Amino acid sequence: MSGTLAKTEQVVKKGKALGADEVIARTTFGRYRQTRFSNNQIDISVAWNDYVTDVVLSWKKRVVATQIHNFQDVDEGVKRLFNLAKVSKENPQYGGVAQGKFRYQKSKADKALEDLKNPAEYVFEAIEAAKKEAGAATNTGGILFSRFEEVYQASSEGPIGEDLRSAVELSIRAFSQKEASGHGVECSSTIKGFDPARAGKKAGEIARLAKNPKAGVEGRYDVIFDPLFAGSLLGVWGPMTSAFNVMIQMSIFVKKIGQKVGSDIVTLRDTPAGYSMANRVFDDEGVPVKENVLIEKGVLKTYLHNTSTAKIFKTETTGNAGIVMPTPWNLELDAGDMSREEMFSEVKRGLYLTNTWYTRFQNFATGDFSTIPRDGIFLIENGEIKQSSKDIRLSDNALKMLSNIVGISKERQHVHWWGEADPPSLSPYILIKDVQITRPK
Amino acid sequence: MDKDIADFSLDYAMSKKVDYAEARAHRGEHQELVMKNGMLDAYISLVDDGFCIRILADGGIGFASTNKWTKEEAKTIVDTAYKFAKMAKRKDKISFAEEKSIKTDWKVQEKKKLEDVSPETRIETLIELEKTLISQGINVAARMFTFGTTLTEKYFVNTEGSVISSYVPRIGAFAFITVVENGKPEQAYKQFGYAGGWEALEKWKLTEQMTHEAKVLQRVIKEAKAVKSGKMDLVCGPEVTGIAAHESCGHPMEADRILGREMSQAGRSFIYPKGLFWLGTRIGSSAVTIIDDPTVKNSFGYYEYDDEGIKARPRYLYKKGAINEFLHNRETAAKLSTCSNGASRAINYDREAIVRMANTFVQPGDFGEEEILEDVKQGVYMRSFTEWNIDDKRFNQRYVGREAYWIERGELKHAIARPVIETTTKIFWSAVDAVSKKVEYDAATCGKGDPMQGAPVYTGGPIIRLRKVYVK
Repeated sequence: MSGTLAKTEQVVKKGKALGADEVIARTTFGRYRQTRFSNNQIDISVAWNDYVTDVVLSWKKRVVATQIHNFQDVDEGVKRLFNLAKVSKENPQYGGVAQGKFRYQKSKADKALEDLKNPAEYVFEAIEAAKKEAGAATNTGGILFSRFEEVYQASSEGPIGEDLRSAVELSIRAFSQKEASGHGVECSSTIKGFDPARAGKKAGEIARLAKNPKAGVEGRYDVIFDPLFAGSLLGVWGPMTSAFNVMIQMSIFVKKIGQKVGSDIVTLRDTPAGYSMANRVFDDEGVPVKENVLIEKGVLKTYLHNTSTAKIFKTETTGNAGIVMPTPWNLELDAGDMSREEMFSEVKRGLYLTNTWYTRFQNFATGDFSTIPRDGIFLIENGEIKQSSKDIRLSDNALKMLSNIVGISKERQHVHWWGEADPPSLSPYILIKDVQITRPK
Repeated sequence: MDKDIADFSLDYAMSKKVDYAEARAHRGEHQELVMKNGMLDAYISLVDDGFCIRILADGGIGFASTNKWTKEEAKTIVDTAYKFAKMAKRKDKISFAEEKSIKTDWKVQEKKKLEDVSPETRIETLIELEKTLISQGINVAARMFTFGTTLTEKYFVNTEGSVISSYVPRIGAFAFITVVENGKPEQAYKQFGYAGGWEALEKWKLTEQMTHEAKVLQRVIKEAKAVKSGKMDLVCGPEVTGIAAHESCGHPMEADRILGREMSQAGRSFIYPKGLFWLGTRIGSSAVTIIDDPTVKNSFGYYEYDDEGIKARPRYLYKKGAINEFLHNRETAAKLSTCSNGASRAINYDREAIVRMANTFVQPGDFGEEEILEDVKQGVYMRSFTEWNIDDKRFNQRYVGREAYWIERGELKHAIARPVIETTTKIFWSAVDAVSKKVEYDAATCGKGDPMQGAPVYTGGPIIRLRKVYVK
């Protein structure tokens, strides 16, 4: 056992000695690096070192939490936390945390991401790739981000383990004109195979095609969503399967387990697999993470649970704790049987949307929302891109769109972008019929 | 917080060939409660403190932070920041606008200190809200509340001699409710925020406000009618005026967006060098003046000095309908040959300070509320909003009404279900012909930056009247 894990376990023992019913402690040493660029130049490079032990303690169904930043403060910190539990309020629905010893898979994290050498080179590689596609005058901006975390987890209920988690992403937006842009991302858990030029090339390709956009026209369209935009849609549907969001009705899936919520070709999974930026081997209770099928052939199969929400719903944890809120790690939409080209050829008159932002709901329970496509927006006629468009809004319903998916590509990409395509996902091209598009008047 | 370590970091940075360096330490003492459907899910109490160093060298910027308070760690992050600054190898060298150095110590006063408020009292606040809401005879089928306080101490030193200490206590709450009647759900959320002490609760009237929201949702379900689409007058309540001011004035007037620094994330602006819109260009009617002011007492976005040590002051963004003054930090100010107006904010020690709004609102006019309504033959009064968004150049926006009424010959008639205005920044602000006397504020958390920095702000304004805009 490492020294840090032993110290983390000491936090748990201290809490138990004071009289706590359950104690979980998780120590994370995080090293985060980011290089931000705009106008083809580096604006700032940033390093964060973070040392923290998160502690959750329960006493007579009163749940309290704190952070400790220095192991010298453990005695005082845990004592203060226990005293807080004594004056807090019982949560009769609290169902405890996971019990038992578990075996965990070995982490496949990449130690090269502990301190990425020469991050500027990755940035310039992406910029040059974008320029090669869209021209020397192309203006680009974006980020290169790397994360490496050592995680030590201990619980009074048995789970104990260590994990290493790593991630790297490059996000680049290229402008060929003031209102003609494209966005590309490259996301991975390891530096091996990480190809910044691929993101730059995609951003440049879209930016080139997006030149001279004309105002879009309101109406209903069959829409092809690029994997980056699809990642934003998965980021809408996936978190709505969290039992927490279901209980507060911030979800279109309330009381819909076992019901048809999507078209037959929709199978949606959550898995923090080794390739993913969200790779991990256990959740915040120390439960081994696993793949969960959320929607299978259009039927809602499960919500995402921690131990406590699972008890409320009379089921088992899915390994997605958050102590308060279960959360998806990495969403995957199963690949379909169409090539990208076949998908385009299906569309007589429609749109190809490459990215979006600012997704907001007027009603989470019904699913009414809007989002604003950005970067390449293309009118398709008879399977071909006919015109670059701008200034439109997708104003529709999240449940209806899930049911109107009529095509999914074989090709998929691991995507993540800022807060918009989040959590990370493995996303295909998606064809959705009859999508409502509006524009300002 | 160990100020000596921050000082040591700066001294160590000065031993290198830096053009500029600053050290900034934050200590945040947080208490946060999460209540879901009447159950207290968690009570979180923690202290987060650390420090950062930002270095300008060879025209590049490097930044590093840590929460380990040792001299050895301080040297490590300074070395890293210095290395990062040199790595940039920029053709256009970054410089900072010249500013006076400041030595000061400022704090926000609390009438009733937050640190003296017991956990039991905090919990009771949410229980009271829960009990009140479920005893109204309305089916409030789901309730989620968060409630918290943060006591923030900061210490700022730079190579130009500035030494600034500050203390800001903030209190905030968030409520999300779902009302279901006849099997039909409607939802509302509301955020509350205040810089100061426990006296905030008296000002918020938390239970009254959320009870009102529950009644509004019930009315929308039971009585509201759809609006017949077309051009009509639209009266916006302070909440709608405030979000429009924030989204379509505050954001596009951030100089870092204007210069492209946020191009990949929050986006750019319809205002840019050599574009159609610049300082002096008309963007609204002469009735429209929009101010961003960090010095509004006890506001959620209150500060006296920004995170580059620049004294805060009101910024007149749109003045009598014309683009007037951008929001600047020292970097953007240097690029546009002006001075910083103190808009540089960081939410914590591990984030760089970037250009941010504080409290953005429409300046009051001289109309009474009745005067504004009585001159409307047919139109919609949108008192509050639900869904909203705006494009990344901050021109194409949409606001969907939460509480809204049909106006007929100056009188409020029936409730309207989710009326929508989807229009451009220029059309919205050009249509304003009347502004009421009284400003009201709403708390919000403004999102910007990568990694995301959610900054406390107020949005606000008086009641405004827009003539002949398209509502659907």
